[in-house]
Amino acid sequence: MSRLFTVIDFELKSYTKNKSFMITTIIMVVLLFAGSFLPRLVDMSSVTGVKTDTLIGADLSDEEDGGEGDTENKDDVDHYMYYDESGMFESADDTAKLFEEIGLFTKVENKDDLKKAVEDDLCKGAFVIKDDLHYEYLVNNSSMNDSTQMMFEMVLQNIHKQNYIASHGLDASSFMEEYEAACEGEVTILGKDQSENFWYCYILVIVIFMLIIMYGVMIATSVTNEKSNRSIEVLVTSIDAKYLLFGKVIAGTLAVVVQAGSILAAALIGYGINRDAWGNKLDMILHIPTEVVITFAVFGIGGFLFYAFAYGAVGALVSKTEDINKVAGTVQMVIMIVYFVVLLNLSNPGNMIMKVFSFLPISSYSAMFVRIAMGTVTMPEIIISAVILYISTFFMGWLAAKIYRMGTLRYGNPIKITKAIKSALSKD
Amino acid sequence: MKLEVRNIRKTFGEKEILKGINFEVESGKALGLLGRNGAGKTTTIRILMDVFHANSGDILLDGEKFDPRKVMIGYLPEERGLYPKRKVLEQMVYLARLRGVDKKTATENSIKWLKRLEVEEYATKDLETLSKGNQQKVQLASTLVSDPEIIILDEPFSGLDPVNSQILKDVVNELIEVGKIVIFSSHQMSYVEEFCRDIVIINHGEIILSGNLLEIKKEYGKSQLVVSSVDGDLSKLRNFIEDSLSDIVEVTGVNKTDVIVKLLEGKTRMEFFGAISDRAAKERIEIEHFETYKPSLNDIFVERVGEEELHEKEENANGGEDNE
Repeated sequence: MSRLFTVIDFELKSYTKNKSFMITTIIMVVLLFAGSFLPRLVDMSSVTGVKTDTLIGADLSDEEDGGEGDTENKDDVDHYMYYDESGMFESADDTAKLFEEIGLFTKVENKDDLKKAVEDDLCKGAFVIKDDLHYEYLVNNSSMNDSTQMMFEMVLQNIHKQNYIASHGLDASSFMEEYEAACEGEVTILGKDQSENFWYCYILVIVIFMLIIMYGVMIATSVTNEKSNRSIEVLVTSIDAKYLLFGKVIAGTLAVVVQAGSILAAALIGYGINRDAWGNKLDMILHIPTEVVITFAVFGIGGFLFYAFAYGAVGALVSKTEDINKVAGTVQMVIMIVYFVVLLNLSNPGNMIMKVFSFLPISSYSAMFVRIAMGTVTMPEIIISAVILYISTFFMGWLAAKIYRMGTLRYGNPIKITKAIKSALSKD
Repeated sequence: MKLEVRNIRKTFGEKEILKGINFEVESGKALGLLGRNGAGKTTTIRILMDVFHANSGDILLDGEKFDPRKVMIGYLPEERGLYPKRKVLEQMVYLARLRGVDKKTATENSIKWLKRLEVEEYATKDLETLSKGNQQKVQLASTLVSDPEIIILDEPFSGLDPVNSQILKDVVNELIEVGKIVIFSSHQMSYVEEFCRDIVIINHGEIILSGNLLEIKKEYGKSQLVVSSVDGDLSKLRNFIEDSLSDIVEVTGVNKTDVIVKLLEGKTRMEFFGAISDRAAKERIEIEHFETYKPSLNDIFVERVGEEELHEKEENANGGEDNE
């Protein structure tokens, strides 16, 4: 057993001594952790809805310069013009007040002036008001995101309502109170709030997919390198091949846990400290319940190990690193199918496909995690799925070690997976 | 300690690679495993190291079933290879620890062997930065780092210059002196002659000659003699022997200074000495000296393997005729 630790130690050093691995990890950790403090240092109130000064102490200079701030705000306001064809608005100031939510409204005396002002880009848009339900909107270039017309209609509708109330001798305030009476209700979620969990589930499914693909290929490359640099003959005559493969895979898994774990921890801890400063705006991504993180770790590590062994076996089938993709296609295809099926069923985790996938060792790392985070699943189901995954992973490790041993001194063309399994399981 | 290989057979697919290999070697002795390319030497070694499994046969160490992972073995494979991008010392310690040596001893042994092979200044360098010859020496140091009882060297001299070859020769002699079992596979017969007490010549998966090298040489030289003349004219001497002494000897070869002859069956050295003295005087050939022929291992190898090849060709030709 101590020799297994020797292999793990040696293989782990190949990651920790890899400059790009270490630099990437450190940069990501520092960036994410420091980035989480950003709203405390820079005014991001337009994004977070929380003013920086409320977080790091009141800044009196803001109050002193308040007038200037207002001036700047005025400059930011959109300018509109209108021509009151109906004559329903008595004073220009009152009219401007009615539309102040939309922008700054200026009155002109005829339609031609209005048209010219729009053409000359003196205003963002212009309205010819015919009565309290009819108008014409003049705009130079109509933008896809222009919501001015919708907002103008809302104001006009309110004016129409008030005109109606007044013309029928009704009490405006009591009428509006009843007209706009709000329903009050409480939501009791007995299962999971999918709207709350969707985004971090989505991201974690992508993360585990990327980690398996990236590190799986690294493990396969590490095995193939030992064949191409011919060190494998010395190794397999020094120690049982299964220790070599298990050592490589465990070292790769530890490297993933350290790298992905520290990056994830930096983001979660940093956001945890600064959650108020962010106005809880990133809760949907970074406020992950502990049980979901634990589930992700348990099933993620199991799934990673399962595929890491498969990649290790794949690496033993070729002699040159450039040939890895020729034999890794089957494994990658399975991973891709699982990835797309789980992502497409993310909002419907209780359907039959997800139920089946959550028990298959090739897909439970992702499907069961999603079901736990977003659906309803019982503890026995979780335990059964985890047991199937880890037993299958152990079996995959055993098979991969056999293939690794069989492929040791087979140089030349890549060996087919079916042939490799057959040879590995034969007694010869 | 005595290592015995008994009747090892191995097939790959339909092809029989080893057809019953037998040999034994004891502590403090070296065995030379010889053969042409593809003869089966490396396969034999790989079976010994449990890289391949034999179809039948036994390998015993002191009468018990041999397990290469339970005995300290230093194996230098024909296909050399270490980690090019790792430090020399780091990978030597790793290989020793894989064989169960503790870290402290592994480090001490690594430094000791790097010093002995005169490459200690590269201990903290990446292997790929070393010259091919120095990489070869690091590989040999890695083979010996676990202080093995059995040392298997497959073509250890390939890639070494004469100076490094001398260092390696000294190291191998020291290992034999301190009682290690050394199994030595090489095409370079001169090295085998220097180290090995016993040899095994394999051809097409079969042993065609084995035993004590001195006895083999003696046996080969027993009925053969070398003759030289004062004038050094070897073609004249050869013609004379072939014309005048063909009733007693046959010429088997010519080397740089002598004509090599073989006594015909039933003829003795005394008859040859008497005849050559009389007949050479008549032909005015002045004989300088004659003595028992001492063949080199190379001569024995070429002759023995050559005979086998010829025999096989004849058999194949006869088989062909029969088929016709």
